[in-house]
Amino acid sequence: MADRRRIQGPEVSVAPIILKSPNKIQLLDENLCRRNGRNLEDIRSIYLKTGLISQANGSAFIELSKTKIVCGVYGPRQTKIPAFSGKGNLNCEIKFAPFSCPKRRPPYRDSQEKELSQLIYEALTPSIRLDLLPKSTIDIYITILENDGTASCLAAAITCASVAVADAGIEMLDLVPACSASYINGQIFMDSDLIEEKRESGSLVLSYMPSLKEITHILQSGEVELNLTSQAIEQCTDSCSKIYSIMIDSLLLPIQNMK
Amino acid sequence: MSTQTYEAETFRKLQPQEYLRKFLLKEVRPDGRELKQFRQTTVNLGCISTTNGSSLVRIGNTTVVCGIKAEVSVPKQTSTKEGYLVPNVELSPMCSPKFKPGPPSEHAQVLSENINRLLKSASILDLNTLCIHEGSAVWVLYADIVCVNYDGNVFDACVIGLITALSNVKLPKATFAEEEGLVKATEELLIPLNLSRLPYPATFSIFDGQYLLVDPTEVEESVAHEVITIICDEAGQICTVWKVGGISCTPKHLEKCISIARERYIEIAAIVENEEKSNNLI
Amino acid sequence: MRYVTPGTRLCFASEYEAGPGTYEREEYIYSSVVGIVQEFIPTVSTNTGEEKKQSKIITVSKEKHQSSIPDVGNIITGKVIRMTTREAVVSIMVVGNIPCKDDYQGIIRSQDVRATEKDKVKIIESYRLGDIVKAEVISLGDARSYYLSTAKNEYGVIYAQSVAGAMMVPISWQNMQCTKTKAVELRKCAKPEDLFSKNQ
Repeated sequence: MADRRRIQGPEVSVAPIILKSPNKIQLLDENLCRRNGRNLEDIRSIYLKTGLISQANGSAFIELSKTKIVCGVYGPRQTKIPAFSGKGNLNCEIKFAPFSCPKRRPPYRDSQEKELSQLIYEALTPSIRLDLLPKSTIDIYITILENDGTASCLAAAITCASVAVADAGIEMLDLVPACSASYINGQIFMDSDLIEEKRESGSLVLSYMPSLKEITHILQSGEVELNLTSQAIEQCTDSCSKIYSIMIDSLLLPIQNMK
Repeated sequence: MSTQTYEAETFRKLQPQEYLRKFLLKEVRPDGRELKQFRQTTVNLGCISTTNGSSLVRIGNTTVVCGIKAEVSVPKQTSTKEGYLVPNVELSPMCSPKFKPGPPSEHAQVLSENINRLLKSASILDLNTLCIHEGSAVWVLYADIVCVNYDGNVFDACVIGLITALSNVKLPKATFAEEEGLVKATEELLIPLNLSRLPYPATFSIFDGQYLLVDPTEVEESVAHEVITIICDEAGQICTVWKVGGISCTPKHLEKCISIARERYIEIAAIVENEEKSNNLI
Repeated sequence: MRYVTPGTRLCFASEYEAGPGTYEREEYIYSSVVGIVQEFIPTVSTNTGEEKKQSKIITVSKEKHQSSIPDVGNIITGKVIRMTTREAVVSIMVVGNIPCKDDYQGIIRSQDVRATEKDKVKIIESYRLGDIVKAEVISLGDARSYYLSTAKNEYGVIYAQSVAGAMMVPISWQNMQCTKTKAVELRKCAKPEDLFSKNQ
């Protein structure tokens, strides 16, 4: 059915078949170094900045080499839900920009976006003091401008959203950094990118409140041995603590520079 | 913050028109600009690597990202060589509290439609150059413009974003394999588009029928309902004059707008040229 | 000055009491906002004259203000957007001194317009559409709206336009006069005290 609210292109269009060079990309060299020079347990360097969206109450932008995500937080504002509630209401929506992935995404909301929205909601809810906000809603809107690995994108989106909520001045128990890991050939690749993700047999995304030492959300998919999982959880919590200090800096630096 | 600023903020919220009027009487604007001063504009090319061409444009706080992706389709029966160029503007609820989630709002539809009309009427890109194999395969360029921060004058940002992203597009070398009916393309992106002209816009608001505000912010746009957009190209030729809403404007105002728009063209062209130079160095 | 972010452990819960911007969990007090740590000792003298010993309170003052939400007892400023014979619907724009980013909805029921002769109140003789009113939040109200009251002298209409479109000035607690036509219209006025005066 034609959507009259958008400019329409042809009915069907496909990405051209790319003639790839025949040699397969090596994920690891002989020194166990990955393609971009990092070790198995290293995460990509993070650029995190708050206050990018002047119209929002709080906002943040995160960049993990190619992955780019923006998040805007609106609220607390009047809830649209008709039932009276003594507790605040949290609403998360994530959106992929149509050009963010190797293949163009249709502009309307698809099931993957709904699933990711729900996961982010679950990861953030324990950290926000919603009991202090009766009759109100907090809206978190996330746009992925460039996607370089879906699991790491989800983790970065959680990190970014948590900073944006703090930037909005909303009371919370702790910041929530999140980190992902991929299992490839019985090895753990921390914070994998898109090419690594295509070869994985399973993945893990962990959200953690470092100060309270509590895990808010954990998502494991694929087939893995038990001891590999527990090792991955340990490595992810370690990485979360590193991300935590970057989050704190991004929130405090603008204030300290102002004074 | 002192109570003084709170009072000013309160006043702005309750009496937005009166608030703006007080500033304009002193020939300044709430953000400290002069009446005919544009906000700082920056262009960042090729920032999204999953696209064939991309551009990030900031005008003051207003931020848009335009990404262009090329796909392959069958041309229309009537014009067997013509490709497609499909621009769409997305105003997500992230960029302003005014927008709600769901299908494109009327505002977004108007922006998309205007940009589409500009592309067609100003014949910026000859669609015949998008042909891969006559009658069987052509390029489709999806130009999606995502607004990140809505602080007024988004139309200008969208047009600059689209034009600069188009000039940033690199297509792969593609061949049509007749027996399989498939298009095969090389991995590297090499071929740039051949744009016939590069128009850039300038937008104005008229407040109280007398103050001409160049490059209005969101606050100014919400109280000054008359908006004029003028788009001109490198030869100073006018591609579009677009005036919406409110009362009439005098020919004198219009003339002034056009001359400012021509000055603005030179300014933007210089910004874009600088960015292209530094982009090529990397 | 010590800047902190949510989740920063501030001190032992036995040493301090948790004030605004903090929370207590197990034996520690943590920050819950981005801001500056402050501590103070409340001095409450009991009616017997003895100084009662209070424990120190630790707070984190917000560096980034949350968009304000109305609470019972707050003074709000807003615009009348809808009227029925029984109530006036107000779009709450400012809470205390802080403007809301997004408006909230409030209702002034006819019994909350003024303190006396509540049964004789007619909404149409108290407010008109577009009036800016100052009111007090008296309850969180129903699911949709907060309940507001203008019963006190200092609450009521603070800015209104007459039928002729000019500004009006209050001439008594229930009358306002148009500055252009001198026509008198009925309103429940706030006791004049210029909202934007600089000499406060």
